[in-house]
Amino acid sequence: MSVIEIRGLTKSFGEVLAVDHVSFTVEEGTVVGFLGPNGAGKTTTLRMLLGLVTPSDGSATIGGQLYRDLRSPLHAVGAVLESAGAYPGRTARNHLRIQATVGDVPRSRVDEVLELVELSDAGDRRVGHFSLGMRQRLGLATALLCDPEVLILDEPANGLDPEGVRWLRELLRSLAVEGRTVLVSSHILAEVAQTVDSVVILDRGRLVSHSTLEELTARAQQTVRVRTPNAQELAATLAAHDASAEIVGPDQLRITGASSEKIGTLASAHAIPIFEATTEAPDLEDIFLGLTAAGERNGKR
Amino acid sequence: MRRLVHGELLKLVTIRLTHGLLATAAVLTVLFATLEASRAGSAGTGVAPISTASGLATVTTVTGFAMLFAAVLGAILASGEFRHASATLTYQATPRRGRVLVAKVIVSAAAGALFGLVAGVTATGVGLAFASSDSAHIALGAGTLLGHIGGAICGAAALAALGAALGSLVRSQLATVIGIFVWGIVIESVIGGLFTSVRPYLPYTAATTLAGVKLGNAAFGPAHGEAGAAGSLPFIAALALLAALALTVSVLAARTTVERDIA
Repeated sequence: MSVIEIRGLTKSFGEVLAVDHVSFTVEEGTVVGFLGPNGAGKTTTLRMLLGLVTPSDGSATIGGQLYRDLRSPLHAVGAVLESAGAYPGRTARNHLRIQATVGDVPRSRVDEVLELVELSDAGDRRVGHFSLGMRQRLGLATALLCDPEVLILDEPANGLDPEGVRWLRELLRSLAVEGRTVLVSSHILAEVAQTVDSVVILDRGRLVSHSTLEELTARAQQTVRVRTPNAQELAATLAAHDASAEIVGPDQLRITGASSEKIGTLASAHAIPIFEATTEAPDLEDIFLGLTAAGERNGKR
Repeated sequence: MRRLVHGELLKLVTIRLTHGLLATAAVLTVLFATLEASRAGSAGTGVAPISTASGLATVTTVTGFAMLFAAVLGAILASGEFRHASATLTYQATPRRGRVLVAKVIVSAAAGALFGLVAGVTATGVGLAFASSDSAHIALGAGTLLGHIGGAICGAAALAALGAALGSLVRSQLATVIGIFVWGIVIESVIGGLFTSVRPYLPYTAATTLAGVKLGNAAFGPAHGEAGAAGSLPFIAALALLAALALTVSVLAARTTVERDIA
């Protein structure tokens, strides 16, 4: 059953088309990575989902309802949005107390979530004195305060140190085990690869992929790196058999569209010696960059 | 709505700014009330002796600064959400933004009432202290003095509600706060001095009228003390005017800026 449904969602800011007819769904109890380079439209999409930005067209619903129509939004959805702030002069505990009051949860829950995000000792410190990582943890505590079934996390790893990133990964795993539905955005695929069931990739406001990681990996072509003294001749032979070869060194080829077995057979038939053949598994980050404009900008496309 | 109002109240009491503004309002009230009491009865000041009803009232109604500070507090409660990007969380918790605006106006009015109470009691205390040291005669009855305090409470509450509505409309905290001070201290004094028939209807003047301030006595600069030809508005009319103004600005904010994207 789809918990989050995005249908033809579009948003223009003046002449800038930030989100362009994006459609996807998030099934109940799954963790979905929402990926794209900076400026891809991820945050705008999430803000439309949360009723903070009005779509120019299309719809975004949670449990079949617009966010603003949810009877008890904090109990239904917990969200951490990039740039969402807490008043710097207020302590973390008071910040959570306010949310607990509005969300109608007991005050004891404030201490529970502070402990969950490992901020118990900093509860009485003013938020203005927090590091970026601590603010992210406070954001997560706020999102989890009313124990929602759906979590929407926008770049939650920003500002976290490596230990914090590992902590976040474990937290996301535990949320998934509890059967919660999580939509987590990131501009780094590797950051969420170990946690998500599937990924939605956005680029320049458009949906470019929605698949499981396995499907994404399978879609990418394997490459075989070959060392041979007859690089030109082998490249021509392969080209005649629907494979492409790129000469990457004086005696080296990078071949796509042919397995190492096929390359070996063809080389043998044409008496081309091969000194070395290495199959290279597609790198997730390369796949991601290949699908997005970031790859184009970095010359990886 | 009850939980929402409670949440907004917590937002106010859990920051130092609220306590700082209240303390500053009290200190300024003591300062200006003492200044007026010291000048009372001196030649050329235009302030009657403190043994007279008029002289004592000049001191016990020095509550204008507290009213301006109450308006500033309301403005900060509303516009601070955008300055610190906490509006995102607020509207996540309560997607019906009109309800948030109503809660902020209610809480601001309540906080403003406290500012009015503190200023009214403080100014009355200073006035009574000077009056009793000057003579045994207290020229104003308890009913009148309590009426002035009640008026200060109403005036400060109304201006704080107006401040919250303005903060929601303008969204910029700096612009709203500066605007409130410039309006109260400069613009009203200029308009009130130039067009005395309009003066009673100006919001800051109307609020001070509620507290028993003689027309012109709340003005700053050359217009100070100049009563002009127009009379003060009756209490109910002044209160209705301020309530209507706060309501109008709130509706305007609800129909325009409040529903804007939180990007």
